[in-house]
Amino acid sequence: MDKSKRRFIKGAAVTGGVGLFAAGYSHTLTQIGKGVVNGTSGKPTHDPLHGNSLTPEYKVDLKTGQLISNDEQRVVNTMCLGCWTKCGVRARIDQKTDKIIRISGNPYHPLSAREHIDFDTPIKAAFVGLSAFQEQGLQGRSTACARGNAMLEQLDSPHRVTQCLKRVGKRGSGQWQSISFEQLLNETVEGGDLFGEGHVEGLRAIRDVSTPLDANNPEYGPKANQLLVSNASDEGRDALIKRFTFNSFGTRNFANHGAYCGFTYRAGAGALLDDLKKYAHLKPDWDNSEFLLFIGTSPQQSGNPFKRQARQLANARVNNTNFSYVVVSPMLPNTSNQPCAGNNTWLPIRPATDSALAMGMLRWIIEQQRYAVNFLTAPNVEAAKAAGYRGFSNASYLIVSDPTLPRFGQYLFASDLGLPFEGKAYGEQDSPLVIDEASGAVTLASMSQKAKLAVIHSVDTPKGIIAVKSSFQLLSDAALGFSMAEYAKECDISEAKIIDLADKFTSHGTKAAVISHGGTMSANGFYSAWAIMMLNAMIGNINLKGGALASGGSFPAFGKGPRYNLQEFDGMLEPKGVFLSRSKFPYEKTSEYRRKVEAGQSPYPSKEPWYPISSPLLGEHLTAAVHGYPYTLKAWINHMGNPVYGQAGLGEAIGEQLKDPKVLPLFISIDSFINETSALSDYIVPDTLTYESWGWTSAWQGTMTKVVTGRWPIVEPRVAKTATGDVVCMESFLSQVAIKLALPGFGEDAITAADGSLHPLTRAADYSLYGAANVAYLGTAVADINAEDMYLSGVSRIQAELNTRLKPEEVKKVSYLFARGGRFENMRNARDEAGNPSKVWPKPMMLWNPEVGSRRNSLTGEFMSGCPRLYQPALADGTPLDKAFDKSQWPLLISSYKSHTMSSMSIGSDRLRQVHPNNPVRLNEKTAARFGISTGDTVKISTPNGSVIALVECVAGVQADCIAIEHGYGHKELGARDTVIDDISIAANPLIRVGINMNDLNLFDPSRNGRYPLVDWASGASARQGLPAKIEKIA
Amino acid sequence: MDKSKRQFLGKMASVSVGAALIPVVQVYAQDNPQSGNAGSSSQTYNASEGQVGKRYGMVIDLRRCVGCQACTVACTIENQPPLGQFRTTVQQYEVSQQDEASSPAFLMLPRLCNHCENPPCIPVCPTGATFQRKDGIVVVNNEWCVGCGYCVHACPYDARFINHDTNTADKCTFCAHRLDVGLLPACVETCVGEARVIGDLNDPNSQISQLLAANSSDIKVLKPDANTAPRVFYIGMSSAFEDRISGQAPVRTLLTDTGEEIHHGH
Repeated sequence: MDKSKRRFIKGAAVTGGVGLFAAGYSHTLTQIGKGVVNGTSGKPTHDPLHGNSLTPEYKVDLKTGQLISNDEQRVVNTMCLGCWTKCGVRARIDQKTDKIIRISGNPYHPLSAREHIDFDTPIKAAFVGLSAFQEQGLQGRSTACARGNAMLEQLDSPHRVTQCLKRVGKRGSGQWQSISFEQLLNETVEGGDLFGEGHVEGLRAIRDVSTPLDANNPEYGPKANQLLVSNASDEGRDALIKRFTFNSFGTRNFANHGAYCGFTYRAGAGALLDDLKKYAHLKPDWDNSEFLLFIGTSPQQSGNPFKRQARQLANARVNNTNFSYVVVSPMLPNTSNQPCAGNNTWLPIRPATDSALAMGMLRWIIEQQRYAVNFLTAPNVEAAKAAGYRGFSNASYLIVSDPTLPRFGQYLFASDLGLPFEGKAYGEQDSPLVIDEASGAVTLASMSQKAKLAVIHSVDTPKGIIAVKSSFQLLSDAALGFSMAEYAKECDISEAKIIDLADKFTSHGTKAAVISHGGTMSANGFYSAWAIMMLNAMIGNINLKGGALASGGSFPAFGKGPRYNLQEFDGMLEPKGVFLSRSKFPYEKTSEYRRKVEAGQSPYPSKEPWYPISSPLLGEHLTAAVHGYPYTLKAWINHMGNPVYGQAGLGEAIGEQLKDPKVLPLFISIDSFINETSALSDYIVPDTLTYESWGWTSAWQGTMTKVVTGRWPIVEPRVAKTATGDVVCMESFLSQVAIKLALPGFGEDAITAADGSLHPLTRAADYSLYGAANVAYLGTAVADINAEDMYLSGVSRIQAELNTRLKPEEVKKVSYLFARGGRFENMRNARDEAGNPSKVWPKPMMLWNPEVGSRRNSLTGEFMSGCPRLYQPALADGTPLDKAFDKSQWPLLISSYKSHTMSSMSIGSDRLRQVHPNNPVRLNEKTAARFGISTGDTVKISTPNGSVIALVECVAGVQADCIAIEHGYGHKELGARDTVIDDISIAANPLIRVGINMNDLNLFDPSRNGRYPLVDWASGASARQGLPAKIEKIA
Repeated sequence: MDKSKRQFLGKMASVSVGAALIPVVQVYAQDNPQSGNAGSSSQTYNASEGQVGKRYGMVIDLRRCVGCQACTVACTIENQPPLGQFRTTVQQYEVSQQDEASSPAFLMLPRLCNHCENPPCIPVCPTGATFQRKDGIVVVNNEWCVGCGYCVHACPYDARFINHDTNTADKCTFCAHRLDVGLLPACVETCVGEARVIGDLNDPNSQISQLLAANSSDIKVLKPDANTAPRVFYIGMSSAFEDRISGQAPVRTLLTDTGEEIHHGH
């Protein structure tokens, strides 16, 4: 059936497509590209008919299935790092040149294959399974995305850092000298007058774990906290960085890119799932759902795991019965699929108003009683199971609702009533209470089969009468706090459409789910994400076939381990004190608060906001250090992080201060490229790429089985060597710093094996090799590698390295892992016999979260809402953005979206960039007409603290108030400008500069004291959606 | 489907295990445009004749295409055309409906050489450099091609181009160099949505034949009126797209955020 026959195409605009350069432009590109990639050279082709196409990696006989290898190439399974999905890939390498010539997917890996092959499949069978023999490869394909295909160009990029660099002239000058690893180590550890600008304290002087850094505020912790270590994210080597940072050096200050990635979503999901430590989230059961709702995420375009979920959604469109989905976004996303129109719809929404839509849906669902009553009234997992569910909620739990009581917002506990309980009052074993449906009595949540849902009650306790409400009642109050009309007006979606969406969502039992992600990175993001995710609780879909699924888990490499204890060591420190970003620590416990109270002053506002429910926030770490509140930094070691490019407004807010050695005395970057952040550093330690380094990491989410991805040097690293012949990279730098400072946890006897023997941690590979042995022996140990797998998998190359640290029996098993690119649980373990997921989320879905509802906004002193409610995007002091910035001057709202091709670090790839070389901003065609703007016009886009020049595409697929900007472009570094090393200039590639970076459209929070980029007031995550803006045509 | 795949693969593994490992030797002798090499092994096909008895074609299921461009990039790396020249592309169309109350939607349209049954590029070639193999794959002999560009103009699908480096006509070959050694084309191998399916149209049991049969009411080709008999088929394509594949051009000029023009579009 041709559904599209019913549709009449009014206009068709090509957006972001390719084939743009059939004439003219290609010549320019060719000139620039020559010598950069393995392109053709104007010579006759290698083969008359096959041109310059690559020689196949092997042959498979189409009649017999016999595999015939090509000894001029090796095919290896390892990890991609084109983005943070970290898929397993297979790479073809030319044996003579040691260059990676092509990359595709690892068939053993669940992020690359829809149904990954069994772990014990021989390598040869895996290869044949990818071939045309009996068409096996069509069903068995394991893919790489556009980026994954292209990232091989990084290996020999002229813009790579391969030597240790020390700045020449001022920070950010773009001029460097190459120095030895040993010189770099000595200078950074010992300090001195390193740049002729005066004395710089080295890491040795900074590392003091006993003297408080601020005697007036002892809770800030020791002086060692004045070292900040950041890692872009866990790409398989995070554990070593944390070991060095927390447990050896002893600084509290560590952070990754989460605060400017998707932390609002993680925090909102974590609030729902009672996990404000690791911020668990959920993914839909793509293969069995009937209705999916995506709000602020576009699973066929980006997100995590992008490639896997895109493939599963594509499959669901064709194979699921009665399947449909709606994607809510300010701009038409790639998740829209016109051939299946009718079964999928784009619902445009005003930027940063997702919470209005979600709260409107919640209001209707509650008023119309469309929620899963038997799920919500089950106060424990057994009761829920009896009602047919595989998880439970705290909907019926009683919450102290009198704001004058000290325990406002917390559960009413058994100990409050003098009922029997275990352990400490209000401890983990003290029981929350419900009102039992049958008896009407206040009952332990664990003892009731069915509890009352809507409760407003006064409980007589030995401590007096305590007013309580149920979680459900509090959520209901919040949802009913605004009318449907108000919600509709806020988000620019009609009441009828909100109701229709809520109706659809609640019409499929538990075979529906809603997810979100970076679309909620707005100044009300945490509560938006929580409101969106709360919809899942209304239908009780958790842990159920067709519903919302927990992570499949991992085989952890770096824990206490069956072979080597990588988590504990003699003399290990526990970091102490307050994070620079004022995270995970309530303001009310500070000396500042105490002093104000003692002086009879109002303790509010704090000097700057505190973020009691948040993880460490890299952006707020840095603004804190620059402004000196709560304290300053003396040194920053940054591994791969790029907050100056990645966080909205950060570069403009503090870029100049970061260049000032008086503000930040020592700045060391560890990276394989010079990005917008490492460009400002004093030293750069060259780092190994994913193709050159060792590591163990897992999937973020979205797999139903255990995954651990192993990466290993599949080619000879291009970086310099130390005097002892080790590879210069992150591991060798941190290890040698620790050894030079005689820190615990590194050196000759740093690692304890299961048999009690001691082992060295001195070389770059060591930690990851011990981790590999742990992975191999977890549970049932994996098999030993056989000769055929060894021959076909390319791991024979690394045998010498494995033998340096591992026992012979370990080497055979670790080789088996590397041959397969990790360790993966078999697909058949994903589900039980009924098709439900084997891995379940064990904790309750939190309609009210006491950890949130008992905390205050440290500026206003008001309690944070313990359940989702409508908050407008606002400044830190609560002033709504549309009050702070007059609509008549700032009529539009910026909204950004992830690129389907370009990540923040992929612009240097010519073969990728040629497909999608620019990011013209998209504007609604009617809005554009109002401003006299047409497609192709040059415009100036401004926010209150920044402006850029851009080209415009005027289309129907953008909400009327929105300026839509794609991420990944507008680079100032990564090869965008000339770099001088030892007086030799590495010429810039101007194509890397093309386009705009949304994060240059700055908005500083005027309610704060200094230049702070706008963040979500509740979580401290970067606000990049819904920034007020204007647009003017200039050509 | 999933379980049978695993079982199937298990079975195949037992067939292959123990087979000798023989290095590939690739030699292509060339006397005239259609004399490819005759390989020593039974599975090495004559590059000019192709796989006699087969008729290769491709189905692209637009319901599955996610627009990720993995195929585009994989193709350019596998086949190494100059930067900016493509053997396959995926264009992305924003489709609005007449009914303004409905939201627009995206169509992702992968395109490549259609390996037509009646290819208009072949008769115009003055040297015979471009020809069709017996398995239907249309190829160009780079040693015979003089780069006149007649074939480029004759192709109604813009599937050919003059390679700026070799100055010869260049186009998709369905990755014949891979098909001939039992492997899948780069674009098919890396297709994230599993939208691209290549196979033997002469074999009624092939996946492509089965897909065509199962979706027979929803199979379209581009420019059906051009009488080229294309062998790239689309599932889920609106008939409005059959002849309307150019659309409104996207922005091609390259500008930096300060307004500096890096390249002016065409």
